[in-house]
Amino acid sequence: MNAKEDMQDIYLDYAAATPVDPRVLEAMLPFFTDQFENPSAPYARARKAKQTLEGARASLAHAIGAKPASITFTAGATEANNLAFAAVEGPVLIDAIEHDSIRAVATSREHGIVPVETDGRVSAESLANAITPETELVSIALANGEIGTVQPIAELSRVVSTEREQRLSEGNTTPIYLHTDASQAPCTLSVNVSSLGVDLMTLSAAKISGPKQVGLLWAREGIALAPLVRGGGQEHGLRSGTENVAGVVGFAKAMELAEADRKNESKRLRALRNLMQARLTSAFPDAVVSGPRKDSQRLDTLLHISFPGVEARRLVIALDQRGVSVGTGSACAASKMRISPVLTAIGLDENTANGSLRITLGHASTQDEVEQACNIIEDVVAREYERVEKRGGRA
Amino acid sequence: MSERVIVGMSGGVDSSLAAALLVEQGYDVLGVYMRNWTADLPGFECPWAQDLADAERVAVALGIDLEVWDYEEQYKREVVDYLLDCYKHGITPNPDVMCNEKIKFGTFADAAFDYGADFIATGHYARAVPGTPRLFRAKDEHKDQTYFLWRVPGSILARTLFPIGEIENKAIVREMAADRGFETASKKDSTGICFIGDISIRQFLLAELKPEAGDIVEWETGKVLGHHDGAFLYTLGQRKGLDLGGGPARYVVKTDAENNVVYVSADRNCPLLWTNELHLADARWVAGNAPSSADYLVRTRHTRKLEEAHISAGDTMAGVTFSVPHETVARGQSVTIYQGDECLGGGIVESCR
Repeated sequence: MNAKEDMQDIYLDYAAATPVDPRVLEAMLPFFTDQFENPSAPYARARKAKQTLEGARASLAHAIGAKPASITFTAGATEANNLAFAAVEGPVLIDAIEHDSIRAVATSREHGIVPVETDGRVSAESLANAITPETELVSIALANGEIGTVQPIAELSRVVSTEREQRLSEGNTTPIYLHTDASQAPCTLSVNVSSLGVDLMTLSAAKISGPKQVGLLWAREGIALAPLVRGGGQEHGLRSGTENVAGVVGFAKAMELAEADRKNESKRLRALRNLMQARLTSAFPDAVVSGPRKDSQRLDTLLHISFPGVEARRLVIALDQRGVSVGTGSACAASKMRISPVLTAIGLDENTANGSLRITLGHASTQDEVEQACNIIEDVVAREYERVEKRGGRA
Repeated sequence: MSERVIVGMSGGVDSSLAAALLVEQGYDVLGVYMRNWTADLPGFECPWAQDLADAERVAVALGIDLEVWDYEEQYKREVVDYLLDCYKHGITPNPDVMCNEKIKFGTFADAAFDYGADFIATGHYARAVPGTPRLFRAKDEHKDQTYFLWRVPGSILARTLFPIGEIENKAIVREMAADRGFETASKKDSTGICFIGDISIRQFLLAELKPEAGDIVEWETGKVLGHHDGAFLYTLGQRKGLDLGGGPARYVVKTDAENNVVYVSADRNCPLLWTNELHLADARWVAGNAPSSADYLVRTRHTRKLEEAHISAGDTMAGVTFSVPHETVARGQSVTIYQGDECLGGGIVESCR
């Protein structure tokens, strides 16, 4: 660790946070100083701010194939997820690998949990089995941020539609909605609400090279949202508080760039991810890669790899000491001393789960970086296995 | 086969460097983070998760294992409950003394030796000699922690390593830690009582014990000068926190826990503030037997200088006689006894005369 001259600085935790793109920052800057007005104020300058806000909303609506009026801006994805759940009062249903911001909300009320396959996918059949006549909201993330599973949302939405039609025919007026947290998706996957067939969708600027604490909830027309933050009645009374004009301008710009780069980036990052996977699994044949096998069912930017018998907590520290930043799972799970519930849900044994790294790529990742990171990871993991083996001989 | 040391690592600079020195000296080292009980009250934050992460970073850099041993229950029973019980009865204890006796050099040491350790080690500022039941002050007289270690049995000290006790001063400790690339090198010294973090003992006691309004009475006149939230919050000799709304500085000269009265005096020379003789109960002698009665050096507070006094020692008690009047020491406080550099043991103040 004292070889400072060899010190790298390689960031591989884009699923946790992304750097703001310089073009996004540039778009945002005027709204901190020159055009700072409160969009609700009555004078001309403020009306311009209001126009800017609505322009950003329209741009984001366009990107997801929705009407601007159906978008509510929030301070990030966690709040948008909370807002989605507040739309219904009855039982909710989530899958077993949801992010804390979904799990914590769902488990605080009457809820069901749909099991997932060992690759993290929710099957149409298990979803159909888990829905009860009382279920009012189903929430399934489009792409999982820990193991990278991309859910067959369009297929699952048909299960929800079938249930809805069934209720209509039986005269059951209980609504049922499908919500998806698509925060991890936009850089590599389409987030068009019509093709996904969802009723509510969460997006976050922070995961797509935009600012943190800026997110949105889209809700199909006819869904009555209930506010969690009350006050001056901004966002149609659904989210009070002076609008974050700079933030949503950045969000819109980031989404525009994600859309434009999506095709190239998904191809490029998938190749880099697969290169990394190939190198690490050939160096460590016992390593376990989690998530679906098929590229089309995985987030292109994510590699979840476990080295059974070593402690990922130590690997993360040792990698950090060599200048490589990676995660062990969702940031929340990493700060506590417990195995991630996501890994338990996919049936990973404790020994394997404890040795799990979540490596995520992003816009700034290069092949050179990935190869250097592989060298360092291979070295660090090999040393740790060596150490564990030596220790085993002693005990 | 190198000798095996199990070192208590708290995530602080002293135990980090202790672990590093042991590795460098060729010992077979295992780090253990002792998880103690922490207060879980609104607004109380004990940063143990951060401390554990700090210890883990050092362990990884040294290439040693770090295990977490859970002493939450023992710590609650042996240290926290003891502390609360003392305060409830108007006694001012040293929780660190109990923690060392019962946890670090008690439960932990036993478990470490059961685990096959030849030695245990900690980051304390003290010195011990392997194989002998003796305890010596640290080279750094200013940081010396023998005041908190006097109840540790000699049999444990004979199997204890204190690598930090050999270092001249704390600045050098930090320098040596920084040289090894430890981020803990610049971590601030922990203050106060570990299980309540940065919260004051007063806030902790108010949350745990039942506050009960009582009078603050002037000792000489019997006049009620003000009110307090519980006599258990006050300690003999205390000057701050009386909140009597102006007037001269006043000292707590007596607390009556039973009747919930705190007596104060503005007179620095009030006889209750001075003593010629301390009676120590529950004495412990590091070597196992009481020293012969003679003049020794004593310490009546961790941060106080060594003073000469005549000691008449018994197996479980001791009398301390000063040649000139000495500030009184609160009941429950430790007094440690030295011959030269060596800590012979100590006792707990039961009364002053």
